[in-house]
Parts: sequence; structure tokens; C-alpha cells
Amino acid sequence: MSISSPGPDRVPSTVKVDKTTGQGKPPAGKSGANRPGGTRPAGKGGKGGKGRKPVTPVKVAGSRPWGPILVAGAVVLIAVGIIGWGVVAAMQSDKEKATPWEERANAISGIVNYRNDPDKTLTARDHKTGPLTYKLTPPVGGAHNARWQNCMGDVYNAPVANEHAVHSLEHGAVWVAYKPGLAADQITALESKVKGKPFTMMSPVEGLTENISLQAWGYQLKVATADDPRIDDFIRALSQNATIEPGIPCSGGLTQTGTTPLDG
Amino acid sequence: MSTDEAVELDAPDHRRAGLALRVLLAVLILLVGAGAGLAAGLAIASPDHPADDSPEAGFLRDMAAHHAQAVDMGTIAYAKATNAEVRSMGLDTALTQHGQVNIMQTWLGEWGLNLNGTQPPMAWMPDGQASMQNGLMPGMATQQQMEELRQAQGKQVDILYLTLMRQHHLGGIHMAQEILEMSDNENVTGIAKNIMESQQYEITAMTDLLAQVQAA
Repeated sequence: MSISSPGPDRVPSTVKVDKTTGQGKPPAGKSGANRPGGTRPAGKGGKGGKGRKPVTPVKVAGSRPWGPILVAGAVVLIAVGIIGWGVVAAMQSDKEKATPWEERANAISGIVNYRNDPDKTLTARDHKTGPLTYKLTPPVGGAHNARWQNCMGDVYNAPVANEHAVHSLEHGAVWVAYKPGLAADQITALESKVKGKPFTMMSPVEGLTENISLQAWGYQLKVATADDPRIDDFIRALSQNATIEPGIPCSGGLTQTGTTPLDG
Repeated sequence: MSTDEAVELDAPDHRRAGLALRVLLAVLILLVGAGAGLAAGLAIASPDHPADDSPEAGFLRDMAAHHAQAVDMGTIAYAKATNAEVRSMGLDTALTQHGQVNIMQTWLGEWGLNLNGTQPPMAWMPDGQASMQNGLMPGMATQQQMEELRQAQGKQVDILYLTLMRQHHLGGIHMAQEILEMSDNENVTGIAKNIMESQQYEITAMTDLLAQVQAA
């Protein structure tokens, strides 16, 4: 906001100072004592110098000391250059800080993003009753039941209905699905990533092609083991961030297991 | 021409003094310029908002998760408790805490931070890991306790809700107290103070209600 103002502001104000060559000291000292911006102190200094003009002790009345003007001009240019460089460098470092979640998600190797898939049924959002069929196992979106599966870090030890789980994804949940019969230590490791963490849930799912499959709305990642670091990356990037209804909770959902959806 | 005359009029001493002043002025302007440039640069490069691994960010993320469970409990109480005051308290807690979650997450967004941290829950707090129970933050109910609350009937809903929420508030107050000692960010300390004071008040109210419901 104020970033662009220092340059233009400083030039005229400092030019004023050099008109009163020899007595720029007070304004300069004053602005040095002031805080960040740099804009205001410089402006004040200019005005201050102008106001005190009559008291000028050095007799340069009516003369034009070109040498000092050139020196002062060069100094001003250098000062402006330093400020500009500082601001640009700072802005770049600020930009690097916050990486949008989409970028972080897409940087995870092996992740599949279905949000722009030509098949729009994969991420359709209609509410429908009764059992529904999904093209992906597990699904990453699509028409779903009006009621969602509770996704407050719930660990379900039996399969849940896709129709409810898809609705949870819409609320921003990451659904950790694993092959039934996965080794107990693998399940425990997965549980520790889910338990008590709102906007995550976990359940066994029949027919997985890999041991573990992670789902968020429109995204999927399949991994072989629970210690794969991409699991944390996926949860961190997509949990809650992937919601298409920002601000909605994961609480208030169904907590029963069983693959038949519950209507009403 | 007139310039030369004016300069000529000055005594050599004066000219030297004038030159010295100009050099001094030039140096001063340069220093001020460099100072302002650095200040502007630093102000943006290290903004006055907390970093990703700061206690403030950790507190906001963890408190958002902690609050989310209170919303879950509150809505159950609002829907099922037998005592009208308990129902109303459940609604109050659910709406307040859901609102606060969004406020806290808005700050994280304004600071350019992800809603999900890279550190485990409670890592921002000294001895935070030790305060975890069953892998849960202080005061949080287990999945089984939440299920018991969901399945409860009659005044058992009121009793379970008041018991679990009182515990939940104690944990929340503990977290708020800790961040108050660690942070001077006005947003964070403001909400922490508010959480501490209002939840302390509610604990008293819940203790009274619990006695009332149990006697009924």
C-alpha cells in the first residue's frame, strides 16, 4: 500500500532541503529519529527546512550553487535507490512465505487432481437419496447423501457409506481409507494422524488398489505404507483447505458404520 | 556570474565551512535514505505478525481444533438435553466457539499461514506434549466419550454434557493461560483473555446446573 509512495514523495521533499544548503541538519536528524515508513519523516524534513529559510546563516542569497545541488541530487538518487531496493527485496521474500494450498497439494508426487476433470460427475455436488454409484474407489466427490459422516478425527473400524463420506469431503475432511486386514501397526500409525484432529476421518474400504488411499474433495493419493511422508503432506495441504463450503464444521454428522446410506 | 560573485564575497574560512556543511548534509541525507530504505525493507520482510512456528500460530490452530469439539458437544446438548438451561448453554457455546474458530482462522490467513501446522498439537506450549492425554489436547473428550454423549438419553445427556464440557473448558483455560504468558500479540492475548474469563464463568454455571440436574 504505502510501498509505492516513498519514491515520488521523497524526491520533491529532499530537493527543497538542498535549496537551503547548509542548514539541512535539523530535518535530517529529526527524520532519522522517526519510525519505519521513511515517507513521512522525509516530508516533514522538507517542510521544516523551508519554514526556517529566513534564518539562513550562510550568505548564499540569490545565488545558485550548482555544485552542491548536483551533489545533493546524486545523494537523493542513491537514497531513493536504496529504499527501492529494500522494498523490492522485502516484497519478494514476503511472497515466498505463503504458498497457496493448491500449489502445495499439486507438489505432492503421485497426487491426482480431479477438480478439472472433464467428467464433471466426479465432483458433482447434488444431494441424492438412496445408494449411489461412484466411478472412483474411494470416491473424491460427486452426488451424495444430505447427511455427512462425522469427521472430527473419527476413527471408524468398519466401512462407512460412500454417500456420507463424500459429503464429509465437501466439508473439508481428509478421508484416510485403508485396505481391510492391513497390519495392526500400520492402522495404529494412521490413527495417530487422525485421532482428535477435526477435518480428518479414517475407515477401511473394500477394493483398494493400494494399502492406503487418501481423499479430499477432488484429490486422491494412494500410498503403500503408513510411514510415507506424503500422508502428512496431504493432510496438511488439504484438510479443511479443500472445503468448498468454507467455515462449515465437520461435527454434527453420522457416526454409525455400514455401507448403506441413511436417508432423513 | 552572480553565483561566482556571491562565492567570491565569502572569506576562505566560510567557504571551507560551507563545503564541510554540504558534505555533512550529503552524508546525513545518504544515511537517512539508507536508514529509511532498510526500515521499510525490514518492516515488510519481518512483518509484525507471528511466524508459522510461533506460539501464537500454534495456539490459534490448536484452539480452533479444541473449539471445534466444543461445537460438536454444544450442538448435541442443544438438540437433546432435558434441562432448558442446559440446552440454551449448549447453543450458546456452539455458536460462540464456532464464531471464534472463524475469527482465529482469519488471523492465520491474514498472517499468510496455513490452517494446518507442521508441528504436532501443543508443540507451541512448554511441556505441551506432556499435557496430551490419549493423544488429545487438554480437556478434550475421547471419541468414545463423544459417542456416549450422542447415544445418551434423558437427563444423562445433561449430566454427560456438563461433565465433559466442564473438563473441556478447564483444558481450554489452561491453554489460554499459557499463551498469555508467551505472547504480546494483541489479537491473540485478547481472545485468550476472553476465553479464560468467559469459560471460567461458565464452569461455575455448569457446576450449579450439574447439581440441579442430578438432584432432579
